[in-house]
Amino acid sequence: MKMEFIEEGPALVIEGEQRMLIVADLHFGIEADLAAHGLHFKSRSERRLERLHKVIDSTKPDELVLLGDVKHSIPSLTWQEYHEMPKILDSLRTRLPLHVFPGNHDVGIERFLHGGESRPKDGAVLDGVGYLHGHMIPSPELAGHLVVIGHHHPLLSLRDEVGCALQSPAYLRAGVDTGDPRKEQSVKSSLPSRVLFMPSFNEIAGYDILQIIKKPFSPLSRLMKKEECEIILADGTYIGPLRALITDETG
Amino acid sequence: MKQVESLNPKVQECIKKRGFTHLSEAQNKAIPLILHGKHLVLIAPTGTGKTESAMFPVFNGLLSLPAGGGFKALYITPLRALNRDILSRMQWWCGELGLTVGVRHGDTPMGERRKQALSPPDLLITTPETVQALFMGKRLRQHLKQIRYVIVDEVHDLAGSKRGAQLSVALERLHVYAGEFQRIGLSATVGNPDEIARFLCGARPCSVVQVPVAKHLEISVKYVGDDFKHQTEVLSKALKREGSTLVFVNTRVTAEALGHALFEHGDVEVHHGSLSKEVRIDAEERFKRGEIRTLICTSSMELGIDIGRVDHVIQFGSPREVARLVQRVGRAGHQLNTISRGTIFATGFDDLLESLVIAKKAKGNEIEPVVLSKMAADVLANQVAAIAVEYGEIERSAVLEILERTALFSGCETLLTDVCHQMEEHRLIRNDGGRIITTARARRYLSSNLSMIHDERKVPVFDMVSRRTVGTLDESFVVGWVHTGAVFITKGQLWRVLEIADGKLIVEPTKKAQGELPSWEGEQIPVPFNVAREVGVIRRTRKISDYTQGHEGIAFAKAFLSEMDKNRSLIPTDHLITLENSDEGVVCNVCAGHKANEALGRVLSILISARYGTTVGLDLDAYRMLLRLPSSIRAADVRDLLLTLDPTHMSGILRLALKRTALFKWKLVQIAKKFGAIDTDADYEKISIHRLLDFFDNTVVQQEAYRELLSDYMDVETAAAIVALIKEEKIRVELGPHSLIGAGGLLSSRDQIPPPTADHAVIATLKRRLEQDDVVLACMNCRDWKSRTVVSRVPEVPQCPKCGARLIAALKPFDEEQYAMIRKPKKNAEERAIEQRLIKSANIVLSSGKKAVIALSARGVGPENASRILGTQAEGDAFYREILKAERTFIQTHRYWS
Repeated sequence: MKMEFIEEGPALVIEGEQRMLIVADLHFGIEADLAAHGLHFKSRSERRLERLHKVIDSTKPDELVLLGDVKHSIPSLTWQEYHEMPKILDSLRTRLPLHVFPGNHDVGIERFLHGGESRPKDGAVLDGVGYLHGHMIPSPELAGHLVVIGHHHPLLSLRDEVGCALQSPAYLRAGVDTGDPRKEQSVKSSLPSRVLFMPSFNEIAGYDILQIIKKPFSPLSRLMKKEECEIILADGTYIGPLRALITDETG
Repeated sequence: MKQVESLNPKVQECIKKRGFTHLSEAQNKAIPLILHGKHLVLIAPTGTGKTESAMFPVFNGLLSLPAGGGFKALYITPLRALNRDILSRMQWWCGELGLTVGVRHGDTPMGERRKQALSPPDLLITTPETVQALFMGKRLRQHLKQIRYVIVDEVHDLAGSKRGAQLSVALERLHVYAGEFQRIGLSATVGNPDEIARFLCGARPCSVVQVPVAKHLEISVKYVGDDFKHQTEVLSKALKREGSTLVFVNTRVTAEALGHALFEHGDVEVHHGSLSKEVRIDAEERFKRGEIRTLICTSSMELGIDIGRVDHVIQFGSPREVARLVQRVGRAGHQLNTISRGTIFATGFDDLLESLVIAKKAKGNEIEPVVLSKMAADVLANQVAAIAVEYGEIERSAVLEILERTALFSGCETLLTDVCHQMEEHRLIRNDGGRIITTARARRYLSSNLSMIHDERKVPVFDMVSRRTVGTLDESFVVGWVHTGAVFITKGQLWRVLEIADGKLIVEPTKKAQGELPSWEGEQIPVPFNVAREVGVIRRTRKISDYTQGHEGIAFAKAFLSEMDKNRSLIPTDHLITLENSDEGVVCNVCAGHKANEALGRVLSILISARYGTTVGLDLDAYRMLLRLPSSIRAADVRDLLLTLDPTHMSGILRLALKRTALFKWKLVQIAKKFGAIDTDADYEKISIHRLLDFFDNTVVQQEAYRELLSDYMDVETAAAIVALIKEEKIRVELGPHSLIGAGGLLSSRDQIPPPTADHAVIATLKRRLEQDDVVLACMNCRDWKSRTVVSRVPEVPQCPKCGARLIAALKPFDEEQYAMIRKPKKNAEERAIEQRLIKSANIVLSSGKKAVIALSARGVGPENASRILGTQAEGDAFYREILKAERTFIQTHRYWS
């Protein structure tokens, strides 16, 4: 297995038997939600899709994994999504096979998917690696595998001594605490051993990594071994364990 | 009074009835011109009867028009308070003459508005923002057709601002309904009357009447020491004399402090913008009635609100600008043809010299020009939206025609196209070929964007530890700067942000001394270049007595300068820039005024930040900049930068670097709001604004943010001119010891310049991580010593304390047991391989010392990788970049992931 970190995504290529391109959290249709929050922009779907096509051009994968939250609106589809989703998905499926792991925002996406494209919400193993969106307890099928998930939009803020921040999408790699005594035995033994949190492909979604750790909001983020988790930037720069980020306050 | 004789007898009668026995110079000159239908700008000090000059002939004209049918004259002032004042004066006249008068602004009740829509008054008193609202209603628009006169009061105050730019477009929109109407501008003294005329009338011919201010002024400067207690004692004594006094101060904080100190007088009140309207009106009224003799006020009292008789004006601290001094002192002797008396209380060395220069310039009538706000893209967007709502659909060429008639937007065709395109991006309008079409959102947008004044929400700051609210921050500041973990200053204390929730900033006190963050709440009035320059001249020539007869002042300034000489300090002047090392960084003494220093200081910070990869803090005032730097960067380094700086590059450098600053983000958000991209009440906290602002890259929104910052907030041109003078050796740059002048001033804390690339932050993080990593040092010579430590404690040349050998292997903690393994007498093939690895590790440490230990601590870096990294001979950041590269390769492999 070989990993490639594609900064222009952020996207990931995992090469085993197959060359898989993985992108998470596209959130097509997010503009309608922004407008509800008082931020008015035209749809950027075209630009976002073009970016994805470019990543496909440059990485030449065999298959494409969409790791959930392909669309944005919940609980129902918007006019924008009705119009855009079929075209977006068509443009991708004519190029390569799709695997869609529906996320919490993918309500109603089935109507746009073709037979065989939809994968279980609680994940599945493809070419030796486990995938799921990340909002649900993973299927026992993933036990013992490295699991790649979306859902969390990790964003790293670096500060220097004066407090100026660099913000960058980042990956979070963590071990999973399969020995948590508070959990039932059946759940523990069926958990994956390592999990990789992917940054969001959507250009404006981002959530501070420290917040993900402090206030976990999914089964896997609650179960990850916080002390050992490691951070990697979108371009594959190894930042290291969390403690590297926390500046010495006593001095 | 012969000018009056040509007026309608009714008006003449009223003038007599009101007790006018003679006309002022302003009235004598202005009335005939207005009667002849000329557009006019009347420039005269406050209290010379400007309003009457305009209104006598306007009343005359109104009486000759048929009754009813719409508004006939608009009287526009920048303040609601002024509107009330003008209304109470106009009511008498209009009552006597049988004309109707009304006021309409934000506070006007609905009932009154409806009445105006049904039967419009002849004369409407209003604000620029409410003029915007007049175009929104169908019925009101009909009432605009009869307008024959527009009077703009305090036009100097509007001409330089975006409010004024918006008004200038509104006047041309009015022209579409009313045809040519007569324009009359009333202005305080300015340096460039013709520009004011152009602002008001565009290309139309416009007369200017100017009543010189200097002969009405009597200004003295008094040095009152730098101790606040002593200052208040002097002030207290000064207030004991006969008559009423206005005390002008520069900040609200000073107003409060003085008010508190003088409370015992019993006849002193405070008046500033943070007080409620009721409190302010009450203070004005009581002053007018003579119940209080002293009013301590900020610029809130500058414009011509009538507060009755003022005998004397005291300016506490330098007035900063000539125009401001003239305006403020002009409040004294508020009756025709009396002399305005004012005293400046100077409170320190800079303050004294500055006050002397400003007082002299005021007497010489050298008033600063007003800089018109030309081609403001956000104003354009606002007005395009307004016009779209007004017409529903309109040809872009028709909009262009309106805009081209103004002085501020002539030649704006390209800009208009860009603006329309951008507005469509935010779904505020639609472009259909050459037509502009309104949208459902546009009307809603307009009702919350009638004003170009930026209405800022205040975000409360809540201290978690004491569990109380410690103050407020401007919303823009929170948006641009504040993130979890950020440190900022407010109320003179450092705070760290714990959380941003429910529109509140939760903080805790912190001791970390670096990192001063800016706040733009400041009422800092910038000192202009010319003033600061002349202060430099006084420092050089030391001819203080040319400026004042005040003994205290002369004695103090002389003593100060001779103290500088005694310390062998260099005195920075208009011909000399001095650089000094201080505990906090490098002080650059440059007499160039706030805006030029802002530009120069930022350029220097950016260059230092780029060269040394460090964050630079910048504090500045009109005479000096403090660059907060690590102690390794000295004044000599700054001098080298200054001497090699190319003035033509400065604007480009600023553009690149500004983008990363809080200031820029703040401006961008403001302007994006005017383009309809962000609702005025949008909640940012929920969304990652950081990347949202990237959406504006290379748009007209970003362009406008640059334009405004580089022209209004700082003065790149002047800064570049100074650098050019350095190049020509007309200004010398020298190093000197930290001096009294260098240590003075610096009240205003400003922005920080972060290092130019993310690279620096990443490498800093890597260094920190590696330093904290555990490492096992093991002697490969005696094979009998190992020690576990952290990398930061490893000596430059590791050595075995037992045998003294320098053959020390560096192992990762999880490889510690390998050391035990190699001490076994008999080894298998695998163990022999491990032994070889450890010997290789030790050899690298032997040849490269601690640097090798650092490399070996990196993730996935074994002896092979480490020797490759060390083989590149890279030093400093480049060395760490090699480590990053190796780690990047490692995490792509199966070894890391399984």
